[in-house]
Amino acid sequence: MKCSEVKELISRYVDDDLGPDEREAFTLHVRDCAGCRTELGEIQALDTLFASAERFTAPPGFATRVLAHLGEQQRSTFWSFLAFHRTLFRAAELVLALVVFVIGVVSGNVLMTGRTSEKQMVLANVQTSFSLDLFQATPPGSVGGAYVSLVGAADER
Amino acid sequence: MRPFADDAELARRFTQGDISAFAELVRKYQDRIYNLCRYMLQDSDDARDAAQEALLKAYGKIKEFRADAALYSWLYRIAVNTCLDYKKKARPDQLEDESLLSDVASSDPSPERLYQSKELSDILQTALQKLPEEMRAALVLRKIEELSYEEIAEVLHISVGTVKSRISRARDDLRRLLRGKF
Repeated sequence: MKCSEVKELISRYVDDDLGPDEREAFTLHVRDCAGCRTELGEIQALDTLFASAERFTAPPGFATRVLAHLGEQQRSTFWSFLAFHRTLFRAAELVLALVVFVIGVVSGNVLMTGRTSEKQMVLANVQTSFSLDLFQATPPGSVGGAYVSLVGAADER
Repeated sequence: MRPFADDAELARRFTQGDISAFAELVRKYQDRIYNLCRYMLQDSDDARDAAQEALLKAYGKIKEFRADAALYSWLYRIAVNTCLDYKKKARPDQLEDESLLSDVASSDPSPERLYQSKELSDILQTALQKLPEEMRAALVLRKIEELSYEEIAEVLHISVGTVKSRISRARDDLRRLLRGKF
């Protein structure tokens, strides 16, 4: 095995990832090659450095902070939802207002054209207001009305 | 560190949106996630912020988690990606070159000096910061979190071959950086 090949295998060797044949060829070469032996030694020293390096723990209150932020995140998600949909709500309100207006105009027209004449409209309004049955001196069905119709008929002859 | 055996139950409750399961998850994994972020980012404030961000992201992604997958693997992936994306706050006193390495390593001329684990961590972390992030992630997951090649492939979403190659190159770079320093 050549030095260049061995150097490629050093990492896997220290990780115990070489197959039996590879491992045998590797160790045979390293036994006799100072250069590769030095490099192997440096990689192994790195492993020792990693093994003795500090394992950090989360700072005090870390978990509480995360969970507190979770509450905020949920609230802000709600408000974001609302803000986004607020524009949609406004647009819907506008459309609704427009629809109501159109309906009002259309039904207003219908109501307007339902009256036969302006004069009758006024009369009807006044009658309604005063609950009177006036402006007819001799309302139909009355004695006077019958007389008028007899007289009127005679007059017109 | 090996994954915990009762993760499956925690994962199942978690996927159902159980907030108390998430609280348990945070308490269970906070040290490992924080530790991973420390070795990825070095700065303690950055690590704290990134770890928090990662855990909150994990909550937001509940629906994406498949309960039959390894919970720790999924969490680590989110943590690594958060670190890779993390924009470090500018710190004026942060040294860019190897002078920090030589300062720490040569403060005591005695070759028999035994470094405290904190000093070793400082030396190691400073050197790790000089590696490309993807290589740093692979090496940290292997040597700090002690994951297998297959587990690292799962976390980083790469092939086992790429894991081996990144670790090998990371070790080689680190070896050159630290040569003669300790």
